[in-house]
Amino acid sequence: MKKSILSAVALLALGTTAASAHITLETQEAQVPSTYKAVFRVGHGCEGKPTIKVRVQIPEGVIAVKPQPKTGWTIEKVKGKYEKSYDYYGTPTTEGVKEIVWSGGSLADDEYDEFVLRAYLTGDLKVDTTLYFPVVQECTDGAAERWIEIPAAGKVADDYETPAPGVKLVPKK
Amino acid sequence: MTAIARATRAMLFAALLGIASLLQMQAAFAHASLIGVEPVDGSVIAAAPASFSLSFSEPTSPLSLKLIGPGGAATALDRYALRDATLDIVAPGGLANGTYVLSWRVVSEDGHPVGGSSVFSIGAPSANAPPSEAELVDWPVRIAIWLARLGTYVGLFLGVGGAFFLHWIGGRSRTATYFGTASLSLGLVAVPVSIGLQGLDALGASLSVLSDPIVWKTGFGTSLGSLASLAFAALLCGLLAFRLNGLGGRVISLIGLLLVGAALAASGHASAAHPQWLTRPAVFLHAVGIAFWACALIPLAVAFVSRSADAPMVLRRFSKVVPLAVLSLVAAGLLLGVIQLGSIDALWRTAYGVVFLVKLALLVPLFALAAVNRVWLTTPAEQGDARAVLRLRRSILAEIALVVAIFAVAGAWRFTPPPRALAMAAAAPASIHIHTEKAMADLTITPGRAGPVRASIVVMTGDFGPLDAKAVTLVLSNPSVGIEAIRRPATKPGDGTWHVDELTLPVSGRWTARIDILVSDFDLVKLEDTIDIRP
Ligand SMILES: [Cu+2]
Repeated sequence: MKKSILSAVALLALGTTAASAHITLETQEAQVPSTYKAVFRVGHGCEGKPTIKVRVQIPEGVIAVKPQPKTGWTIEKVKGKYEKSYDYYGTPTTEGVKEIVWSGGSLADDEYDEFVLRAYLTGDLKVDTTLYFPVVQECTDGAAERWIEIPAAGKVADDYETPAPGVKLVPKK
Repeated sequence: MTAIARATRAMLFAALLGIASLLQMQAAFAHASLIGVEPVDGSVIAAAPASFSLSFSEPTSPLSLKLIGPGGAATALDRYALRDATLDIVAPGGLANGTYVLSWRVVSEDGHPVGGSSVFSIGAPSANAPPSEAELVDWPVRIAIWLARLGTYVGLFLGVGGAFFLHWIGGRSRTATYFGTASLSLGLVAVPVSIGLQGLDALGASLSVLSDPIVWKTGFGTSLGSLASLAFAALLCGLLAFRLNGLGGRVISLIGLLLVGAALAASGHASAAHPQWLTRPAVFLHAVGIAFWACALIPLAVAFVSRSADAPMVLRRFSKVVPLAVLSLVAAGLLLGVIQLGSIDALWRTAYGVVFLVKLALLVPLFALAAVNRVWLTTPAEQGDARAVLRLRRSILAEIALVVAIFAVAGAWRFTPPPRALAMAAAAPASIHIHTEKAMADLTITPGRAGPVRASIVVMTGDFGPLDAKAVTLVLSNPSVGIEAIRRPATKPGDGTWHVDELTLPVSGRWTARIDILVSDFDLVKLEDTIDIRP
């Protein structure tokens, strides 16, 4: 019995460490429609391991995505069809970048870095909601952290262990 | 035709009619479902309620209504009124604060029993977890079941066995026929009645609803149904054999004896044990052995009491074959005992074992008497020694008393699950099904009790399609005792399931289980529900 209690305590300790090191967006508020500069702040690796890949999923309604080049990292732009046609300054747009992948670099667990992209937030996005950019952070030895949880109605990011970084949408001034 | 024969025939006819009407009942389509309950499930109310109410989608009639209190004691709720499809139940007075379970079982108009329970608390929830479905021992039902079982044994072993004896060994007389027919009649009443009682027991209902057809249908649907059919057929063969002479009687009585074995092998704890290729034939041999031995007692007693001239001859013929029957009976009985008990200490540690010991204790004097009869009394009695005949008569009457006592004790096994089954129940898994729009999962924790366990998870899409998940993580927590998330990634052995092998659940009780299914790189579905882990 003593042994099983001890192992339960050990499990407890292991179970709670993962949560704290979120990936977040530097600018927490954006106007729609407008161009938004998304700065993803990566403050930790995965359980102590260095980050070697950062993948950002582009949500629907976000178009004209351009990542900012980054020394030491290769950028891959995964393109695909949108669910509908979006208006980009009068031009109907039906396809574009759906995922950005930064790879090839190495960011130690005790170092900080930012990954930047610029995108157009279309007028189809609803104001007074939060727009989430799911991010998968891959590290050495196959370790990964998935910042992909999108809060359900009535919940906030803090209710989740691995929430996706989000930006609050406000009406254009 | 004698009065007894006429009465027997009338009884037979009635019983057959009853069984035929049971068989004709059809399964129905829609059942009543609960649409509302007062107090609301999971609610905490300030003061003890004066009444409870259950609202169903269609009119129902109650079979069993119970209130299980914070201490686990159950009270039968027998004061209720039906108002359309709503059941208003008068609450017992003086309910203390704590958590209660309102447990109900009703029959909907289509004849289907439906049951469920609702948990509520008065004042505040009890400190310990809500009491689980406690067993309310309904003594009248239990005693009736036991009596019906005793009657069944007497009818099968003394009645059907008796018919066999008269045809194959001898000793036929009016008195022997009378006792045999009486035993068979007792069995012919006890067997159908036991179906109704089994139904009551299965539904957790009391004797007052015995007349409800659903009770009989339920009883017939259990494994007792096949026992009852075969036993009834055996009793009929016995009855027929008493009326026939010559070869026909011999054949019918033999069929009856074989049906006794088949009936007992078709139902009961022992027949359910594995390996069945071994246990079923063993039960068959055991039953036929008992029938053969017990069957001799009444005709022999009658022969000696009535000082019949051919009594010694009958005794000699019986003595020649009885060792074979006793050998098969004892060997099969011991084998079954070993399988059922599993270990020596189960003999005194479990109710089943105690019944086994009492039965053994009664067998010792029975065997002693049988040995005395055979070794010291048979030969002098055959030679007409009056004192030996007197002793033999007393000894046979004592044997009959012991045999009936053994039937009575064996009947108690109906209520004591064998250690084998207890061990299986303890090892039984706990499982839940979680179903959401996006995905669903079956989680099985084996064994379903505190300690080292294994978990097995099957995931599917919300509409029962295959779900090829990238990863599955099991997260278990028990906030009520302060155990935060125990998180384990599941592995995929390749059979379509996900496994977590090295897992220890330190305490029993209600755990929160969450299954995180990584559907694709950016899509994680979390399913959460509670699962009850036994101590
Ligand atoms: Cu389902």
